[in-house]
Amino acid sequence: MKTNIQIRMENLWFYYHDRVILEDIHAEIEKNAITAISGPSGQGKSTFLMILNRLWENIDGAKVKGKVEIDFGKGFEDVYHESYPVHQLRRRVGMVFQTPNPLPMSIYKNIAFPLTLMGEKNQATLSHRVETALKKAFLWDEVKDRLLENAETLSGGQQQRLCIARALVPEPDILLLDEPTSSLDEASIRVIEALLLELKKSCTIILVSHYMDQIGRIADHRLVLSERKLRPAPDKARDIQNRIEK
Amino acid sequence: MTKSFPDRLLSLFSWICAMFLISSVSIILGFLILKGYKAVNLELIFSDVRPLDALLLRQRVFGGLLPAMTGTVFLIVLSMALAVPLGLASGIFLSEYASSKIKWIFSLTFDILSGIPSIVVGLFGFSITVFLHHYFNERIFPCLLISALSLSFLVLPYIIRTTQISLESLPLSLRLTAPALGATKRQNIFFVLLPSSLSGIISGIVLAMGRCAEDTAVIMLTGAVATAGIPKSIFSGFEALPFYIYYMAAEYSHPSELRKAYGAALLLLIICSALFIFSYWIKNTLKTKHFTGHNSL
Amino acid sequence: MDFQDRFFRSLFLGASALSALVTVAVLCFMVLLCLPVLKLDFIRHVLTAPWSPGQGQFGILPMMAGTICIAFLSLVISFPISLGCSFFIEILKPKGKGNLLKKLVQFMTAIPTVIYGFVGVFLLVPFIREIFAYGSGMCILSASLMLGLLISPTLILFFSQSFSRVPQSYLNAVDALGGTTWQKLYHVILPHAWKGMLTGIVLAFGRAMGDTLIALMISGNAVVMPSSLLDSARTLTAHIALIFAADFDSMEFKILFISGIVLYMMTSLGILFTRGLDRKGPA
Repeated sequence: MKTNIQIRMENLWFYYHDRVILEDIHAEIEKNAITAISGPSGQGKSTFLMILNRLWENIDGAKVKGKVEIDFGKGFEDVYHESYPVHQLRRRVGMVFQTPNPLPMSIYKNIAFPLTLMGEKNQATLSHRVETALKKAFLWDEVKDRLLENAETLSGGQQQRLCIARALVPEPDILLLDEPTSSLDEASIRVIEALLLELKKSCTIILVSHYMDQIGRIADHRLVLSERKLRPAPDKARDIQNRIEK
Repeated sequence: MTKSFPDRLLSLFSWICAMFLISSVSIILGFLILKGYKAVNLELIFSDVRPLDALLLRQRVFGGLLPAMTGTVFLIVLSMALAVPLGLASGIFLSEYASSKIKWIFSLTFDILSGIPSIVVGLFGFSITVFLHHYFNERIFPCLLISALSLSFLVLPYIIRTTQISLESLPLSLRLTAPALGATKRQNIFFVLLPSSLSGIISGIVLAMGRCAEDTAVIMLTGAVATAGIPKSIFSGFEALPFYIYYMAAEYSHPSELRKAYGAALLLLIICSALFIFSYWIKNTLKTKHFTGHNSL
Repeated sequence: MDFQDRFFRSLFLGASALSALVTVAVLCFMVLLCLPVLKLDFIRHVLTAPWSPGQGQFGILPMMAGTICIAFLSLVISFPISLGCSFFIEILKPKGKGNLLKKLVQFMTAIPTVIYGFVGVFLLVPFIREIFAYGSGMCILSASLMLGLLISPTLILFFSQSFSRVPQSYLNAVDALGGTTWQKLYHVILPHAWKGMLTGIVLAFGRAMGDTLIALMISGNAVVMPSSLLDSARTLTAHIALIFAADFDSMEFKILFISGIVLYMMTSLGILFTRGLDRKGPA
């Protein structure tokens, strides 16, 4: 079924202050597909995403044991290897959080921020890539006249698309989304879902969501995280889902 | 429903205490304003010299407070120049780099430093001067630089603490934003964390400036003198407002001098209040909005 | 990039180490400068004898007693008032006035100590002299009254902070059971807040001991063992400020540093004690 594997996790454990959060995870994630993860809240779904871009390393008391390999087009690489540059990894594996987190600066600067981090100074390049990213995130038409306004003046849905656009600027191979639509209204949710379906042509998408209907609409693969284990979604649920869709 | 007896007693007690405190402060401020407001004018500062001439150093001011005020300003600027870089860097280290064990040890030392009486810090500054005078250069005496250095030791723990607290109170979601986009730790600190906590840090620095303006114990041991004129270099003695007030309270010889002392006290009070209000304003209006913290594990 | 990161880490670490070094250096320098006389016999002499340099007696006992006396008395004066004020701010909260009082208290921290001393000299001292018709009015009582006012912001802010940290759910529980404000205070708030309050008391005591200007300006500075509230006394801080021996090798000069060391030790002990209360040891 899964033909084109991009991420492989083996024997992966996650601890927070000596408490086991994830236990012996084995998973394979398909390239250019949307993999949805659902499950009860507070069970470590956000943590699972942070393992892929090693963001947990910025949280006190977190610890990981195990193996994560990602294929960025040159065969599988161990992203936890000592010599693997974590900043490179995070540019290849973008992340969008549950609550939109624009930085307290203008819309333009927010989008250009990842480029600033890479030391890009050429204004023409910057404005070109800002425009491209905003267009990809279906946001360009709404903000092209107010690029210098503070990003916090945008609506919630716009802010979240801004954050997606910002995550897309480094042209990541993988995009992690942590319940990206949970704080948004119905219309914004539709726009973002359409956006994700478009993005999966160029990106591998891993989406944490607890809306079963959303998962049904856009996910190619479903995983459930509960009681510290990651399992494929039970077929029964899928049957019911299929029946409803028919 | 009527209140129970203990409740009424508690309420009465609290009101009395609050009123007592308010009236004590009012009496102090009122006394100072009443006695000092007539003295606060240009003559108090510039004596009989034309203000422009005095500020351009064309003419020396003898009777006025200008030398004391410039001395205080120099002190503030110099000690801030010494304390701010060191305090910021230490605060950043404590908040962003230190392991919990190292943090515990360092913050204990900084707490002790902030608890040391200012006269002891002054004594430290004085003893350094004496030491240098005896063993290195006979021309080293208590001076503006030594005072500023000692004052910077005094306010260092304040600056470290406000920097550390401002940084640590940033929500996790903000902390993770830049790293998720591939920022290094240094980039995260300079591009996101510091700018976001700037209002807290600056208001702390302004409060520290107030401490430099008001402290008397340190400077009386390290170079403040009754008459020095506008300081010519950082290696000379200097006048300062708080020292002037202290000195005049004990040594005034004429009612006109006493009136000037009242004026000086009111002036210092105004300066310190202004710094306090400024710091309060910075903290409350420049506060950048943070996203509500999320990212539970 | 990694090199830059390591560079900044070392820079920040260096700054912290330097700042910490200042703390240690203050003590070491003072010890170093009076090292020649730091012998057990002499320390005993200094800590027990009276002060009379003419007769070769360099005891700082009167100053230590003066310091403790004035600091303790100011605490005794300030404690009940601060307690009442923090009740006012955090528990009574009469229609926004609580917040107003809190702002005033915060403002008090910005009033220069020399101002307290100055007003003390020209308002409080004559007042005390008139009322008791005794001496100059420069006495332990005057200094303690002003010092009490000086340390009250520390006490009030610590007290009200400790009160506000009592979980709201506990307060709701008492309210739901029909408890009075007094019962809430006695059964829930005080048992919860006493540690924070004690921390405030210790720090305020440290502030009172460490203050120079008020004692220097209005306690009279006489070197005698304090025996009455209306007696003049000298604190350790004022002693350091007053004795300005120019002679590097004189005994008076060395005693300054011993006084400094005593003050340093006492305030540090206070800090260590509050740390122990906090019990946030290295994890």
